[in-house]
Amino acid sequence: MSEGKSEGKSQVTAKGRMYPGMSQDERTVFEPYSAFDIPADLRTLHGRYDVVSTALRVRNFRYAEEWMMMMMGGWLATIPELPAKTGLAKVVWETAQAADILGKRLPELRCGRKAATASESANKGFADFIEAVSEPESPDLTIEKLTGIFDVLKPHLIQVYEKTGRETDQICDAPTIELLEDIVRKARRHVSWGKEVLDRLCDTDAKRQRRQQRSSQLRAQLEVCGGVTGELTTASA
Amino acid sequence: MKRFIQHEELARDSRFIRQTNAVATVLASLPDDVDKVVAVFEQLDPMIAQSVIGTAAEALYDEYGPAFGLITLNEPLDPNQTETLGARMRLVLRMHGIFAGELQALEGAGRSLWDFPDAPWEFKMNMARQCWDEARHVQIFEKLLHHVGGEIGMFPEATFLFECACADDPAQRVAGVNRALEGLACDVFRDMIKFATETQDDLMRQSIDYVLADELTHVRFGSEWVKEFTKDDPERFKAARDFQREVDKQFSFGGARSAREDAAIPIAWDDRLEAGFTEEELNELSEVSGGGPSRQTLRKAAEILGERHRAKTGRVAEVAQ
Repeated sequence: MSEGKSEGKSQVTAKGRMYPGMSQDERTVFEPYSAFDIPADLRTLHGRYDVVSTALRVRNFRYAEEWMMMMMGGWLATIPELPAKTGLAKVVWETAQAADILGKRLPELRCGRKAATASESANKGFADFIEAVSEPESPDLTIEKLTGIFDVLKPHLIQVYEKTGRETDQICDAPTIELLEDIVRKARRHVSWGKEVLDRLCDTDAKRQRRQQRSSQLRAQLEVCGGVTGELTTASA
Repeated sequence: MKRFIQHEELARDSRFIRQTNAVATVLASLPDDVDKVVAVFEQLDPMIAQSVIGTAAEALYDEYGPAFGLITLNEPLDPNQTETLGARMRLVLRMHGIFAGELQALEGAGRSLWDFPDAPWEFKMNMARQCWDEARHVQIFEKLLHHVGGEIGMFPEATFLFECACADDPAQRVAGVNRALEGLACDVFRDMIKFATETQDDLMRQSIDYVLADELTHVRFGSEWVKEFTKDDPERFKAARDFQREVDKQFSFGGARSAREDAAIPIAWDDRLEAGFTEEELNELSEVSGGGPSRQTLRKAAEILGERHRAKTGRVAEVAQ
């Protein structure tokens, strides 16, 4: 490195000019490439969301993750099935981490340095939906508790995060894409775990019916409020 | 979902039964007087007899009477002492108690997330992390319980950990759970590591060593959040300190966990210093935990209670304790 630096001072070596000078004939010897040539990068500028709307979406996402983490924490004491208790605790921690990295993106989106803990529901309907998911309380309602999270809310969030990742500016908003990809990777694992637990718990037709009913009720409520960002259409629910 | 639940509302599967928390509460206030200790346990006898039915503690009750806890939990783990039922069951009983304690610590950390929705985000992150840690501890101690020949639900579960520590004020809750109880965990786990080292049980030694490292982190969470929640509020700080002192006293089991020479579980001084306790706090803990009857008093009382119990039931005494 130090050798190169001293060579650079002389500007021109036997191989040609290493650093540009101030006149037209003082260009370097290096071939010109676009920032997208090696390897070929087909991304283009411009996405569906500008800085302000991305920041709002991130606050919406953080609202869902934060409340999901809190309600699952509350349920740890009221779920009698030991493996569901211990497994859910890990989901609590990873969901908290999701809320945390979403929050850390907010100051980067011009929301102010103190914005890292800001959460915002897209509308009252989504806040009501979160309340409905958190409603089951007594120890005989593990199916209702887990269905709300693993059959409805987390799959919905995965869908919206992936859509956001596809539709936002692939270059300008790459940090949001990266963090959503990390969240989705873990959320898929959560959903797979939750569904496995639910499949095991729902070992009679009556219990499968309970799961189905709970899931349908919550999905309908989610559709009405438009989901985590308030813009969900029935077709995409 | 409502906020702030009672310890009776902790959900358990069909393997578990509950034990009254009265015995633990009484232990914290016993005087150093053989006759009074005997009188207290005789009064509690019907309740204790009822609580052990159908559990592995029933055999201990049959053998030693209502004071079987003094022979098991209030005596140190001794690798060389295996000839009596009490000595054989001591390790399993302690492991089962730790398992139940970790379960309640998991539930306490989880409830802190739900009970205090307006708490600072960093507090929530710490509690969420603690949930995962405590869940791993539950899994670790389930394995260790099997490792020493026990199984979940073989003894009744006392929920006094959750009952005593889960205060409605977040400053008091972290003082009670993260400083008093996680501090107690440091003492218990250091003692278990010593036992595992003496018995060359490397599986137990290594896993509890990792758990101890987590507990130090949880104590640090507590130290930081008591400060944060009570800054500029000396009254709230005093209330949190008083609450912690109360929990410390309650969980010293009449001096069984203390700095006394005859303590079954010594205070893990160095670990606690590393976790952020000050020398002044540890001296205070020594004072708070050191009260209560001596081991000699408890042994004598247990002997009398055992003799009376055997006379009543017509059993013959096992090898002397």
